[in-house]
Amino acid sequence: MDVLTLGSYTFSSRLILGTGKFSNSTVMLGAVRASGAQLVTVALRRFNRQQAEDDLFGPLSAIEGITLMPNTSGASTAAEAVRAAHIARELSGSPFIKVEIHPNPQHLMPDPIETFEAARILAKEGFLVMPYIAADPVLAKRLEEVGCASVMPLGSAIGSGQGLATSEILNIIIRESGIPVIVDAGLRSPSEAAHAMEMGCEAVLVNSAVAAAGNPAVMAEAFAEAVAAGRKAFRAGLMEKSGSAVATSPLTFLGTY
Amino acid sequence: MSAWPEWLNDNRDTAALAAMLSPTSPRSLEALAAESRAITLRRFGRTVTLYAPLYLSNYCSSGCAYCGFASDRKTPRHRLEPEKIRSELAAMKKLGISDVLLLTGERTAAADFDYLQRSVAIAAEEMPRVAVEAFPMGVSEYRTLADCGCTGITIYQETYNRERYEELHRWGPKKDFIDRLETPARALEGGIKSVGLGVLLGLSDPVEDALCLYRHLRHLGRRYWRAGLSLSFPRMRPQTGGYEPPFPVDNHLLARIIFAFRIALPDSELVLSTRESAAFRDGMAGLGITRMSVESKTTVGGYCDNEESEEQKEKGQFEISDDRTAKEFCAAMRAKNIDPVFKNWEPSYNGASATIHHEKEADRSATPITPEAEPCH
Repeated sequence: MDVLTLGSYTFSSRLILGTGKFSNSTVMLGAVRASGAQLVTVALRRFNRQQAEDDLFGPLSAIEGITLMPNTSGASTAAEAVRAAHIARELSGSPFIKVEIHPNPQHLMPDPIETFEAARILAKEGFLVMPYIAADPVLAKRLEEVGCASVMPLGSAIGSGQGLATSEILNIIIRESGIPVIVDAGLRSPSEAAHAMEMGCEAVLVNSAVAAAGNPAVMAEAFAEAVAAGRKAFRAGLMEKSGSAVATSPLTFLGTY
Repeated sequence: MSAWPEWLNDNRDTAALAAMLSPTSPRSLEALAAESRAITLRRFGRTVTLYAPLYLSNYCSSGCAYCGFASDRKTPRHRLEPEKIRSELAAMKKLGISDVLLLTGERTAAADFDYLQRSVAIAAEEMPRVAVEAFPMGVSEYRTLADCGCTGITIYQETYNRERYEELHRWGPKKDFIDRLETPARALEGGIKSVGLGVLLGLSDPVEDALCLYRHLRHLGRRYWRAGLSLSFPRMRPQTGGYEPPFPVDNHLLARIIFAFRIALPDSELVLSTRESAAFRDGMAGLGITRMSVESKTTVGGYCDNEESEEQKEKGQFEISDDRTAKEFCAAMRAKNIDPVFKNWEPSYNGASATIHHEKEADRSATPITPEAEPCH
């Protein structure tokens, strides 16, 4: 069976959902259910033990069949992310941590240096580390070397809806990676998610595209179908594009000089 | 240094903003609203983050013509003592508040840095996020506040028109235009993670002030690339002292300013307080504003007294227009399909931010992982 493997965990769904930006938690839970996602990410800063109505963690943890992946969004250094990861593991019991370190809260671009440092420490501590990174093939390999469970390069800036603006570099990351590559951020439409999967991504993560859609639950379902279709196409093997074709059979029949 | 800084003449990217702000702009308010709404939805989703102010003290040493707490006003002066701060914070927590803005007047012996630092430390024990709107401080004082759990500093220039500024700020430390102008940079230099800038609309030409505000924010953003930057759009309200704003800003112009800033700065937090009416705030939620105060009291304390005390009968710094409870406000947001978010910060991210800007070459690696900072006392 074709499954997404992260550490010792396997998932049949290859769509990961973010849980911020929704109009309320009922809509968010509806989208999570409709997406069929088995892995969802939730920001530690949105855990609110004081006030159930404001809390995203409680309602998510009540859904059957969901594995939670807390994230460190809001952290601006490795030290903050490591502290956050410890708190998140204690509160959620999940071994997953999405390391998200964006020191500039305006554009939310990930800090490669702090991310690497946090990932190295957390992987050594036994976390399943899922680092959010810019599309950087060298950083991706460095993160693989220190034991990350995946790498999560951005398709384009968070919340930009610019799709796979980094696709050329994503191709290098996918080609070289020994761990799952998961496109995170920037996707706007299911067709872009399908495209990412056709390229060989092992999964995609979306949030804004679903939360800001007219009908989040239906959009979540559309993303799930697109991800499944893209994966199927990747496994089937796409026909070569004109210009990139190679001869269908080797030229051994020509013999040697 | 008291010279007009070069960056306030920096006209990079200001033309588009100026065109949107102009009353003769060819772009209709509706067109600006539509673009502003789309950007806000993409970047911030269907959410608005909430906070509430807690006035620690109304002692003041400055004579700002427009302020209800100016030192010549015959308003009774108080400050909250630690026990009272705790009970006020407890009352705020009952409302759901988890993000507090602590306020004081300009620096006085009654409410000085030590008092503020102790108050921040108390608040940081109770609230996930603590910000301060007080007097201008030095870099090391800001660093101390950051280490005690202060995440943000709000400091408004009020107006960037230097002549108007001199007229309005009749005496006291706030009279120093340049010192105030340089305060947000000192806060960021001291490791404060975010600063809130603003002009008090009504004091001077609003379009000129808006353009200077934009230059100020961009200057800080370039120099302190880690800085969280937010903008507020406070509009003069009737307050103790009865100052009449000479450049009144109507709803249409305020809306135009908000939309134009959202389009010019797609990623910045834009803040709207309870100075504005319920109708205006509800209308602006989702159209560009991403952060709002709720159930604000602008008197010293005021959250935990049920019966009308003498204190509550006093006038605050300004009159509140949207006096709905947090519950009522949240219901209005939910009816608009917007999630009112109380907790949007994690206290484990507190502490002074790195300011690599001035670090030596040898220190330019990942921020060292150090044991947790000693608690503040």
